Amino acid sequence: MTGRTDEDLALSRRAANGDNAAFAMLVELYEAPLRSFLARTVGPDKADDIAQDAFLNAWRRAGQYDGRARYSTWLTRIAWRCRLDALRKEHRLEGSEEPGHAASVSAEIDDMLRRLSENERAALVLCEGHGWTHKEAAEMLDLPLGTLKSIVARAKAKCRAMWQGADHG
Amino acid sequence: MADEFDRYLSAALAPPDRTPDRKFVARVQARIALEERLAAQQRSLLGNLLKQLGALGVIAAALWWISRSGTAAGLASESPAVALSILLALFMLVVVVLGFRTRPVINPLLSL
Repeated sequence: MTGRTDEDLALSRRAANGDNAAFAMLVELYEAPLRSFLARTVGPDKADDIAQDAFLNAWRRAGQYDGRARYSTWLTRIAWRCRLDALRKEHRLEGSEEPGHAASVSAEIDDMLRRLSENERAALVLCEGHGWTHKEAAEMLDLPLGTLKSIVARAKAKCRAMWQGADHG
Repeated sequence: MADEFDRYLSAALAPPDRTPDRKFVARVQARIALEERLAAQQRSLLGNLLKQLGALGVIAAALWWISRSGTAAGLASESPAVALSILLALFMLVVVVLGFRTRPVINPLLSL
C-alpha cells in the first residue's frame, strides 16, 4: 500500500467510527477529480448530484474500504454504480439523453465527447485524462479488461479522426 | 510515443488542479447530517414501538390472569357492561401514559 492509501484507509476507518471531519477530508481530497470525471462523462448538470450520492454511499460503506485499491478507485466505482442506477431510473421515466456540456471549458473536446457513447467517454476520460491504468479503469467501470481496452482504443480513434478532420492533422 | 493528439487529449481531459470546493463539501456534510438524524429517528421509533408492544403484552397477560379469578369471572358474567367499561378505562389509561412518555416525532427535513 502507498502512503496516500494508508492515510485514506485511516480516514475511512475514522469516518466509519462516526468521525465526520475525517470524511470531510476525504471529500475535499477527491471531489475535484470525481466531479471532473462525471462532468465529462454524464454532463455538468448531473455530475454534482451523482458525486453527492457517491460520497454519501462511500460514507455509509466507510467500514468496507479495506485499502486494497486506491480510495479514488473505490470511490469512482461507487460513483459509476450510482450513475448506472440513475440511468435505469431515467430510462424508466423518459429515456436517456445526451449530456449537456455547456459549462465546460473546451468546446472542441466537449463536441468530441458528445459524439461518443457514455462508456467510451468514461473509459477515455479515466485512461487518457486522469491517468488510470486500463486495469484500474476496468475495475472502476466494472468491465472486463479486454472490453475496456477495446472501448478506449475505439474512443481514441474516433476522437483522433474528429481532431484530424478539424484541420489539426 | 505520444504524438500531438495524445498530448492534446490528455491535457483536455485532465482533472482540474484547484483547491477543494468548500460549498460542495458542505453540501455532502449536510446530507450526512440529515441521514444521521433520520437514522436516529428510526431507531427511536423502533425503540418506542418495541416498548409499546411490550407494555401491551404485559397488560394482556395481566388481564388474562385477572380473568382467571372467580371475582372477575363473576363480574364479567353478571354485568358485562361494567367489566367492559373497566377494561376500556384501563386501556385509555395505558394509551394516555404511553402517549405522555413517547416523544413527538420531529420531521428532520423541517429542522435543517
